[in-house]
Amino acid sequence: MTTDVSSFDQLDALVRRVPGVAALYPAGSMVATVVTATLDAVAHRAPAAPLVHIEQRADGVRVTARIGIGATKSSGDVSGRVHDVIAAHLEQGGNPPVVQIVVIVASVWLNV
Amino acid sequence: MTERTPANRRFFAFDLDSTEGEQAGLNGYTIEQLSDYLDRNRMPADPGIDDSPDCEIALRGLERLRRAQRSLLEQDLERESRRDDSWVSSILNNITLEAHAGREIPLAHPSPIARLVVTEGAVRGMLRETGDRMQNVFVGRCVLVGDVSVPGAPISIRVDVTVFPGENIPRLADQLRDAMYATLSKYTELVVVAIDITVSDLHSLPDASAHEQEK
Repeated sequence: MTTDVSSFDQLDALVRRVPGVAALYPAGSMVATVVTATLDAVAHRAPAAPLVHIEQRADGVRVTARIGIGATKSSGDVSGRVHDVIAAHLEQGGNPPVVQIVVIVASVWLNV
Repeated sequence: MTERTPANRRFFAFDLDSTEGEQAGLNGYTIEQLSDYLDRNRMPADPGIDDSPDCEIALRGLERLRRAQRSLLEQDLERESRRDDSWVSSILNNITLEAHAGREIPLAHPSPIARLVVTEGAVRGMLRETGDRMQNVFVGRCVLVGDVSVPGAPISIRVDVTVFPGENIPRLADQLRDAMYATLSKYTELVVVAIDITVSDLHSLPDASAHEQEK
């Protein structure tokens, strides 16, 4: 099965647009993420690695998003909407089946 | 769902040094490095800090602590602070320990492929911020007691606070408890059966007569 990589690239922007999402953090390996981000910063280039992490397994795709949320909406509401946006996007044709969508609320900004 | 703490269990002492004894770095950074980063107004940008929610939680805690210290100075309590600033170093240690992501606390969703969680570090961070936003109180330590990873399992919260002048402590504790219940209800699905508050530091106004004698 051919994987439509471009559809994965759009996930960061889709998640950021979900109402209540105040921050999107790297969800992949922390060491790899920090090294990549540091190299990007030194080279003054746009970040290369997507923040929403995609893991392709034999049985399908596992997606992980790590977010910070603002004060206006609940954690359950925002994380549920993030899940729904990712699921709807990846249901579009050409993508492998999604076996799990993990959404981690890693910080809450009460003053936002 | 949250329930009120029974009246006979509203104050509860606990050993501040008994849990999470070792002090670890935050995404490889120390609290001193994060403090320096704040001093530099977060410039130049460090992606290792900016992309870490643990560091972000710690930085916000540091900012609130600095505001509290400035407030003390403005209230002419600096002499009191100089005599004993152990509460500041204690809070710094706790900010470092508690900003770590810790355990994952589940959030419900009907989809079988969904796994939604809020981290223990995020919950501690928001409880700390809830307390710090109140007048004349600063949260020293915040511990979630119980199996937070099991949906519906009853848990309790243990908080220790520093109180500054001008407040009736029992009333302040009640207000803090109400605010924390409200925060937990909105941002988690935890079943909180108790929020136990210990006032571990009490800062009083300097004695005016002593102040005169020092002149």
